Formats: sequence, C-alpha cells, structure tokens
Amino acid sequence: MTAYVRAAARAFEMSMKLRAVNPFTNFGWLVFPLIFVVLGLALLGGGGKSAYAILGGGLLGYWGMAYVEGGNEIQNERWSGTLEQIMGCPTPLVVIVVGKLCSSLVFGALSFFPAIAVGYFAFHQSVQNIDPVPFAVSFLVLTFAFFCMAVTLAPLYAMWRWAFSVTNGFEIGVYVLGGFMFPISQLPAWLQVVASVFAPTWAVRALYAATGQPFGRQYALWWAVSIALSCGYLVIGWFLYRLVDVRARATGQLALA
Amino acid sequence: MRFMGTSAIQADQLRKTYTTTRGLIRRERKDHIALRGVDLDIQRGELFGLLGPNGAGKTTIVKILTTLLLPTSGVARILGLDVVNQAWAIRKRIGFVFGGERGLYWRLSGLDNLRYFADLYRIPPDVSRRRIGELLETLDLKGREHDKVEGYSRGMKQRLHLARGLLNQPEVLFLDEPTIGLDPVGGRELRGLVRRLSNEGTTVFLTTHYMLEADEICDRIAVIKKGEIVAQGTPSSIKTGAEDQGVVEFEIEGLPAQRIEALRQLPAVATVIVEERELAQVITIHCSRPGELAASLGSLLDGMQVRNVSVREPTLEDAYVLLVSN
Amino acid sequence: MNTLRIFFRTCWFQYRAMFNWATPIGYLSYKFLQPIGQILFFTELGIFATGRSNALYFALGNALQLTAINGIFGVVMSVGNERQFGTLPILLGSPANRLVTFLGRAFVHVIDGIAGVAVGLALALVMFQIDLSHANLGLLAICVCIISLSTAGLGLMFGSLSLIMRDVFVIANGVYYLLLVFCGINIPVSRLPEWAQLISTGLPLTRGVQATREVVSGAGLAQVSGLLAGELAIGLVYALIGYSMFRWLEHQARRGGLQEAY
Repeated sequence: MTAYVRAAARAFEMSMKLRAVNPFTNFGWLVFPLIFVVLGLALLGGGGKSAYAILGGGLLGYWGMAYVEGGNEIQNERWSGTLEQIMGCPTPLVVIVVGKLCSSLVFGALSFFPAIAVGYFAFHQSVQNIDPVPFAVSFLVLTFAFFCMAVTLAPLYAMWRWAFSVTNGFEIGVYVLGGFMFPISQLPAWLQVVASVFAPTWAVRALYAATGQPFGRQYALWWAVSIALSCGYLVIGWFLYRLVDVRARATGQLALA
Repeated sequence: MRFMGTSAIQADQLRKTYTTTRGLIRRERKDHIALRGVDLDIQRGELFGLLGPNGAGKTTIVKILTTLLLPTSGVARILGLDVVNQAWAIRKRIGFVFGGERGLYWRLSGLDNLRYFADLYRIPPDVSRRRIGELLETLDLKGREHDKVEGYSRGMKQRLHLARGLLNQPEVLFLDEPTIGLDPVGGRELRGLVRRLSNEGTTVFLTTHYMLEADEICDRIAVIKKGEIVAQGTPSSIKTGAEDQGVVEFEIEGLPAQRIEALRQLPAVATVIVEERELAQVITIHCSRPGELAASLGSLLDGMQVRNVSVREPTLEDAYVLLVSN
Repeated sequence: MNTLRIFFRTCWFQYRAMFNWATPIGYLSYKFLQPIGQILFFTELGIFATGRSNALYFALGNALQLTAINGIFGVVMSVGNERQFGTLPILLGSPANRLVTFLGRAFVHVIDGIAGVAVGLALALVMFQIDLSHANLGLLAICVCIISLSTAGLGLMFGSLSLIMRDVFVIANGVYYLLLVFCGINIPVSRLPEWAQLISTGLPLTRGVQATREVVSGAGLAQVSGLLAGELAIGLVYALIGYSMFRWLEHQARRGGLQEAY
C-alpha cells in the first residue's frame, strides 16, 4: 500500500514539474479563464449575474484542467512512447492517474485567481454575499466530482485514441450541462435531464446558491446527489480499468501515436 | 550460471493476428498475421538473440513476452509464469528496453526519470537511492543526471533507457534493438555491458538486425522470417547450416536483367544480390559448390568484363541472408 | 496542369494525414460535438444575459465563427506538422512551386470550414429556430465562403509562425477564443471599447460576420459588397504575410541560419 502511495506521490511530483513548463497548462489556468470572464462580464454586466461570469470563468478553467488536461496526460504518454512503459510496470494505471490528476486539480484551482483579479481590476466586479461554510463544502464536493469523472475517463483514453477527441470536442458542451455560467433551468427540459446525471451540476448549483443565487438552500440534498453520482462513476471506472488492461494489450494500441 | 536447467522464457505455438479496420463508410476488416506459431525455450542465464528483417515479428514477440500484448493463441511463460494471466507477477521480475529515443520524459532530468520508474516498480526508497547511484555510475551518466533528457546524446538516452530497465534488478531483461542509431563505439560499449549482465546471471533476450552484434555476444540465436522461426541454434551452428554453401562475389559493368535472371536459374544458386555502384554492379551469389561456379563464370558472362572475383566462406550474415531470402 | 495536380494532391494528402489518427467517431465528434457545444453554450449564455429574443444573434455568430476551427487549427496543424514529422527539408528541397504547396495546405481546410459552417447553421436552425426566411441563400453562401477564406489566411500566418516557434498551438488557441470576443460574434463591435474596436477592424470575421447578419435580415449584394471585399482583403493580407514568412524562413534555412526550424 505504501508503495502505491509513494508511486502516486511521485506521479504527482513528475506531473507538477512537467506542467509548470508546459505552455498549454499555463494557457489553461491563466489565459483561458480570463477570456471567458471578460466575455461573461461584458455580456452579464453588473447586477446579480456577475458571480456567474467570475466564478464561471474559474469553473471553466478548473474543469478544463481536470478533464482535458487529464486526458492530455495519457495522450502525451502515448506521444512520448512512455505509455507502454507505465503499462508494463507492476503499478496499476489508476495509481498513476490519481497522482497526475491531483496535479491537474492543483493547477485547475489556480484558475480562480485570474478570474477574480480581472473581474475586480478591469470591471470592478466581485462575488459578494458568500456564505462561507456551504461555499467551501460545495467546492470540495465539486472537486470530488471532477476527480471522479476524470479518473473514470482516463482508461478510455488509454484504450482508444479517439476517446480524447470526443471528450475534447465536447468540452464546451460540458460547461452547458454543468451550469457553469448560467443556470440549467433555462435549458430545454430534455437537456436538464441529461445534466442531472452529471455530478458537477449539483455541486455547482450548491456553489452558486452559496453566493446568493435564488435556488433555495437544499445543500445537503445537492451534496448527497453529487457525491452519490461521483461514486457511481468510480464503480464504472473500476470496470474500465479492468478492461483497459486486457483490451489495450489485445489490440496493441498502446504504442501508436 | 545460476538456475541452469530451468526455463526463463518458454513459448509454445505463439500466434498473433492484428485486425485493422479501414474506410469511413464501408468498414473493411483486414487481418495481418504477425506470428505464425513461434516456439522458444530459453534457459536461465542465457543470452539469446532474435534476428530477422523489419516486420518479421521481432517486436511483437518482445511485446507479448513483456506482457504488453496478448497473444491470439498459444502459451508463453516467463520464469514459469503465464504472460496472459500472471502479468503482474511477471512485470515485477523483468525489465525491458525498446530501442530508439522515445519512451523517456524529455523535459525532465535523467534522475527524475529514474526516480519515477523506481517508484512505479515499487522499489523501497533506500534501495532505489542506492541502486540509482550505482546505475548512473555503471552506465556512465554520473554528473549529467540533473540535466534534462532532451539535451542528452543518443547514446546517453539509450544508456538511460537501460538504467531504467535495470532498476528492479530484473531476472529477465528484454532488449528490442538496443543499439539502433548508436555509433560504433556506443554500440560496442552497450554490447559489453549486456555481456557482463549475462555473465552475472541475468537472462537476456535481445532482438537485432546487426549480425555482428548477434555473432559477438549471443549464446544462442533464432532467425525469424514472416512470423516464423526458420533457424535456431548457436551462431556457429547456424553458420554450419550454410556450410556447404559459399559466396561468390564479383564486379561487372552493365549486366542485363535477363542474364541476372539466368544466373538465378542455375541449379546450384540460392540467391543473387545485385548492388549498383557508380560504374559497376557488385554481384553476390549464394550457392553450393562456389568453386565450380566461379570457374564457369567466364562462359556464363561471355563477352563481359568481370573483375575482382572472390570466393569466400559463409559468415553469419550470409547464413542469415540465405535464411530470410526466398 | 502539373501544378494543378500537385495542388490537389497536396490537398488530399493533407486531409488524409490530418485525420489518419481519427476514426470515424473521432471525426464526427470534431465535426458535430464541438459545434453543438459552442453554439449551445454561447447562445444560452446570451439568452441568460439579454433574453430569448436575441438568440438569433448568438446562434448565427457562433455558427459562422466555427470556420475558425478549420481556418486556424487545421491550417496551423497542416503547416506545423511538417516540422514535427521532419518533412520540411524534403518539401524545401523539392522543385514544387512554393506558393502552390503553401496554399494547398490551406485549401482543404477552407472547404472543410465551409462544410463546418453549414453544419453549424443547420444546428442553429434546429436548436434555436433561427429565421433565414429573409435571406438570399446564394448570397449567404458567398458570405460563408469568404469568411472561410479570410480565416484560413490568418491560419496561414500562424502556420508559418509554427515553423519557427515550438508552441504556436497555444497562441492559436488564444486567438480562436479572442475571435469570439472581438469579431462581433458574441458582443457587438460597437459596444467594445475604442482600442478593442481597432483590433476588430484588423481581424478576419468582423466584416464577414456583419455582412452575413445583414444578409440574414434581408440585405442584397449591393449593401454588403463593401464589407465582403474588406473581409477578403484582410484574409489576403494575412496569407501574404504568412507566405513571405515562409519564403524568408526557407531563405534563412538555406543559408544555414535556422537549423532549429527543422
């Protein structure tokens, strides 16, 4: 067990070092949220909606790092020819993925800093009326949801080269389903149904409720649903990791760039 | 040598078929047979070489034996463990190095690379620290371990690969074309190192298409062609396979295609290789009873100027060419 | 004749090479999922900000901006891959017409970009019932073609940059999203601060999108010809800058000054 913890910690450290010098990472947490906050504030202006622009920009960056960068990591391993080597190690892929993912979450969380800064300095807007305890808990629940989704998706990237292009293509779609920049209640009913099986959606609703958005205060329910869905993903992920060890070995797709 | 008499690597009727699909609308399935029933039995401590042309199935065998690829049928065992069902137990006890420069984190230091894989191989920290130090020393990377890998020379990258492959002190080491792209000095150093590892008891499975490499260091060799083993034995026994054979070489100017074809048709001739030089062609003929052929060349190549005729004993390369050509 | 053949062969190889990593599912996701996501997100954001009556503005703008996926990412990838796969010296060493091979890299993406906008408009039609009943469809098609051409011009410039810069894709990403801010896609140009309006006038898409909006609300060729000519000119300027950079790079490389370009 301690050997696995050590391996995950080392994967985290490696990933942090690689990311720190990776321009895509720095674009992802620094520039990308900025552009969306600016767009959001320009459209939503002042009033009660600016929280959506500022927090929303941060959420996009946070999610983007966890989801796209998490997938990128596997794709990069494939490109550099190291995917075979980590698959050939006596350490399960999930241990390595967890380490790497923690580093993407660290960088992703940084997204909130440029988002808040540009709102404050360029538009003189900030997120007000924060209810600290529910806000903090909601943030943790959201982080858990991101973590579980990304862990579950990673084996798909190892198995199929096209999996990454699918999730990458749908990155913006997820902003819609998660209600990152506007409430999902305005979406067509069928999309709301799709959004409701998406764990981050519930945590994001709680997060915005904690900034005074008029959703009611059913925090416990929202947190519980989000956590339950996240755990559901992990169960699916458990099967996927078992599958990846067999399937990737059968097709020999590990080596292909 | 330790553990002599027990098999380190066994393969029984190993087959691998890759299925590829192509086309956007009408999906076409195409089977490519990479291995057609390969048998191997390699003893502990042996240094075994697998020779074959590109695309013959060398890498496929190595990937199956290192648990990275599943065979379509057949059985393979490493140290008595099954490569399909006991992959985890095998992975702890083997090392593998694939040739070329890929497979390292170029933007990190050599030391970072080694530490990372040491942890992935679940080596306790105190052990790994000592072992990394030793490996850096042995592989002549000391002093450069803090530099980024992207600044390393090809030879250094290859030595770093080898260091990574040796981190867990593997009982069986797989080397897939380890000297590819190395200069002659680098290649010789690597061969010396591999020989030393083998002398210390490590079983080494090496693929290569450099004949000299195989001849120089391998205890035993197998030649693979289109997914089948066509010869197996010590380097000298493989040469003996070509013993009644010999090689006739000569230079000639403008030998027309139909005469080359006529040479090929002679009963004693196995292969004719034509190499175009600036002003002449160099013809290499593998044949039985080379002396007789050389004597009769004059009448065969009537009216043409033949220079530098030589008749020689077969080398491992000749034996190999004979085995893999049609 | 030979030149034409080289041109089309270059195009076809570019296209094949670009998608050889993608299975049909990968290609479809790139062609449909991203457009759906982008149109949905920005239109819903626009609805949240300004009300449902403005859905058309956002849906149309984003459907048109989709051409930048091809025009920028596609073109940069096609030119940049030469460097990544080490085929640049072979290209530079060949006697093929430079301008033809260079433009060949963009052409296929222009076609693909037009197809992309068509998909986008169809999606906008289905998802938000945008009203094209006042539009002269032939003129609309011309607008789309011109926008695709001018965006690919910008792409060619970044493509040339990618031959000397390692991480030009990051910049291309930034430019893609900045187009959403500056080109009247989601925010009317007139509402931008003055310095930003200045940037807008120098970018492709700005005039083309404005022309298209006017065509959709019933304008004829006479009313938008000035805008379309401007759009085309902007694209041409970027393509020329890109081509000069490409030739300059070739010159430098032959003098031995830019080995790292390979």
